[in-house]
Amino acid sequence: MTITPYCKRIVALLLLCWGVSYVSGVAAAGKVHVEFWTMSLKPKFTAYFKTLVGEYTASHPNVELEWVDVPWDTLQTKLTAAIVAGSAPALVQLNVPWAYDYALYGALLPVDELLGRDRDNYTAGAIADLTFKGRIYGFPHYNSVNVMAYNRALFKQAGITRVPTTRAEQLEAAKQIRARTGQYGFSPALGKIAGVFLEEGLPLVENGKAVFNSPAHVALITKFADAYKAGGLLKDKLFSEDNFPASIDAYKSGRIAMLEAPPSALTRVRDDAPDVYAVTDVAPVPIGAPGVAAGGWLFHFAMPKGTTGEVAIEAARFAKFLTNDPNQLEFAKLAGTFPTARNAVADPHFQQLRTDAGAYEKAMALGAKRMSVVRTLYVAGVPGFERLNKRLQDAVEAAIIGRRDVKAALDETVAFWNSKLTP
Amino acid sequence: MTSESALSNAPPRHFRNDAVAARARWRRNLRPWLFLAPALVLLGAFTFWPVLWGSYLAFTEYNFLTPPRWVGLANFEDLLQDPVFFISIKNSLLYLLIVPAIQLGAIVLAVLVNNSLPGIRFFRAAFYTPVVTSVSVVGIMWGWMYNEQGLINAVLRWLHVINDPVGWLSDDRLALFSVMAVTLWRGLGWYMVLYLASLQAIPKDLEEAAVLDGASRFQRFWRITIPMIMPTILLCTVLSTLSAMKVLEEILIMTKGGPVSSTYTGLYYAYDQGIRAFNFPRALAASMVVSVFCLALAWLNFRFIRPRHR
Repeated sequence: MTITPYCKRIVALLLLCWGVSYVSGVAAAGKVHVEFWTMSLKPKFTAYFKTLVGEYTASHPNVELEWVDVPWDTLQTKLTAAIVAGSAPALVQLNVPWAYDYALYGALLPVDELLGRDRDNYTAGAIADLTFKGRIYGFPHYNSVNVMAYNRALFKQAGITRVPTTRAEQLEAAKQIRARTGQYGFSPALGKIAGVFLEEGLPLVENGKAVFNSPAHVALITKFADAYKAGGLLKDKLFSEDNFPASIDAYKSGRIAMLEAPPSALTRVRDDAPDVYAVTDVAPVPIGAPGVAAGGWLFHFAMPKGTTGEVAIEAARFAKFLTNDPNQLEFAKLAGTFPTARNAVADPHFQQLRTDAGAYEKAMALGAKRMSVVRTLYVAGVPGFERLNKRLQDAVEAAIIGRRDVKAALDETVAFWNSKLTP
Repeated sequence: MTSESALSNAPPRHFRNDAVAARARWRRNLRPWLFLAPALVLLGAFTFWPVLWGSYLAFTEYNFLTPPRWVGLANFEDLLQDPVFFISIKNSLLYLLIVPAIQLGAIVLAVLVNNSLPGIRFFRAAFYTPVVTSVSVVGIMWGWMYNEQGLINAVLRWLHVINDPVGWLSDDRLALFSVMAVTLWRGLGWYMVLYLASLQAIPKDLEEAAVLDGASRFQRFWRITIPMIMPTILLCTVLSTLSAMKVLEEILIMTKGGPVSSTYTGLYYAYDQGIRAFNFPRALAASMVVSVFCLALAWLNFRFIRPRHR
C-alpha cells in the first residue's frame, strides 16, 4: 500500500489540528471556564461585550470567558434543554417573568450570598423585581420605562391643550382626536391585558380567587370598548402580544397621535420620520393607582442550577463586573436603556438636558426620573397562568370589539379562573 | 486421520451447495438493507423515535425539568375543556374549503398554461413564483397589503367598493378567510405544475380520436382529460387536505391566532401550547388529535376519489 502525497498532507493537517487543540486544552486547563448567554444583543453590542471580556480576562487570568448570544425567541427552549442536559451556562440573561418561572421549578440558583453587600449598588426596584419568596435570583442589568410621545400638530388640530395624565383622560383624548382629525389616538398594549390591569392597580387574583370582574375592572374595559367603537384606537395588531411595530409605524406616518414606548423608540422616529419628530414632544405615561410607571422590563443575569463551586464564585464576580456602574452606564448610552446601578442612574448623562435637546433626549431624562417607580409588572404564583390568561385575553378582546357584553365576559372568565384556581 | 476418513466426515455435496446458496441468499437480502440503513437510522432517530416518545408524553405530565409522570387521558380531557381547542379544530376543518378551490383553480391554470402560446413560459414561472417565495416574505407582504392603509383597502376605496378601511386581519369574522386566501395563493402554483405534468402525459391520439368522433371541447375535457388526470387529482387532493389541516406558518406570521382566537388552527394550537406556553403534553395531545383527523381525511379522499380510468 502506498501513501500518496495528498494523503500525507491530510494526515499532517490532522496531526497539526490535534496538536493545536491539545496545546490549547493544556493551556486552558487550570482556568475557570465561565460561559454566559445574552439575549439578542449581537451584532449591535458585539464590540461592547468583546471589550468587556478582554478587560476582564486581562485582570483575571484564571478565568476563561465564553460569550454566547441567543435570539430571544429561542432562548427559553435552548436554556431549558441545556439545564436538562446539565450543560447550562454559568450565567444567562433573562427577563423577570421567565426567571420567576425557572426559579419556581428550581432551575435557577438564588444569589443572595454571592451578591452580598453589593446588592446596595442596585436600585431597590430592581432588587425587588428579582426577589422571589425572599431570595434574590439574579444580578440586575438594564431596565426600561415607557414615556408618551405625542404629535403636537395632531393635538393642536384636535383642540387638546392639556396632555392626558390618566388612562381615562388618554382614552377621551383618543376619541377627540379621531373625531376632529380622522386619525387614531393611540395603540394600547391590549394584547397584554393582565399588564394593563396591573398598571391601573387592578389585581387579577386576591386570596386565591380571581377578582377581575369588579366594577373598576368593568369600567376600565368599558372605556377601552368606547374608545374602540369611536375609532380612537389603532386597529392593526391592537390585540397582538407585541403591537409595538404596528404602533411605531403608525406614529411615524402620522396616523396615531400618541405613542407609548421606551425612549429609544424615538431615535427611530427621528431617523425615519424627521417631519413627525419635529412636532413630537414627550410626557410621562399615564400612571395608574399604584404609582408604577408602565414599561418596566428588567433584564438581569441569572445563575442556572448546576453552577457550583469555583465556577459560581467566578461567574458572580463577572456578573458584578458586567453590571457595575461604569459598564451599565456605557451599555445604557449605547442601547438607549436605563441602568439599574444606582450611581449610573444618577449620572449627568440622564439628568442634564442640552439646550438643543430633542424629543429623544427629553424622553431619556424623563425616563431616568421615573426609574424610582419602575417595576416589572407580571402575574406571579398563578398555576396554569398561560391558559387562564388566554381565556381572559379572548374575553376582553371580544368585549372591546363589541362581540360580548363587558360584564358578562368578565364574569364568565372569573368563574372559569376560579374553577381552575380552586384546589 | 486419513484423507479417506476426512472425506467421509465432510458434508455431502448437496448440503454444501445449500449452505453456499443460503449465504448467497443472505447476502442478496442484506444488500438492500445496507443501502437503506443510513436513511432508516436517520428516520428512526428523527421521525419514528420522536413520534413514539411524543405519543407517550401526550399521556404524561411533563415540563422538561422533572421526569414525565403518567396521567392517562388527562391531557385529552383537558383539551376537551378548552374552547380554543374546539375553535382550532373548527378552523382547521373550515380550512378544508381551500381544497376544492385550490384544485379547481390549479386545474384551470394548468389547462390555460398547457398551450403553446408565445410567452407562456413566463406565465408558468409567474404562477409558480409564490411557491418558491419564503413563507415569511409572503406573510409580511400580505400583512402589509391587508393593513388598514394597505394596497387592498386602497384599491377597494379607489373603486368605491368600500368607504371605510376593512380590517382584513383585525376583524375576527374575516381574519381566517384572509389568511386562507394567502394559503390559496401560495399553493396554486405547486398544484398547477403537478396538473400540467399530468396533462402533458395524456396521449395526443386520444384527443385526436375524440375530435374525429365529433366530441365538443367540453366533452373532451370532461370525458378524456378529467379521467386521465384522476390519479393526479387524488394525489393533489390528499396533499392539499393534509396541508390545510397542518397550516401553521401563515397563522404564525400574520395573526398569531388572533383576533379573539379566530384564526387558531389545530397545529397552531399545538405550537402555541408547546413553544409559547411550554405545555408539551397538551401540545402533543393536540397534535395527536390533528394526526387522527389527517389520517381520517386521507382515508376519505382515497375512498371517494378513486381513479376509475387508467
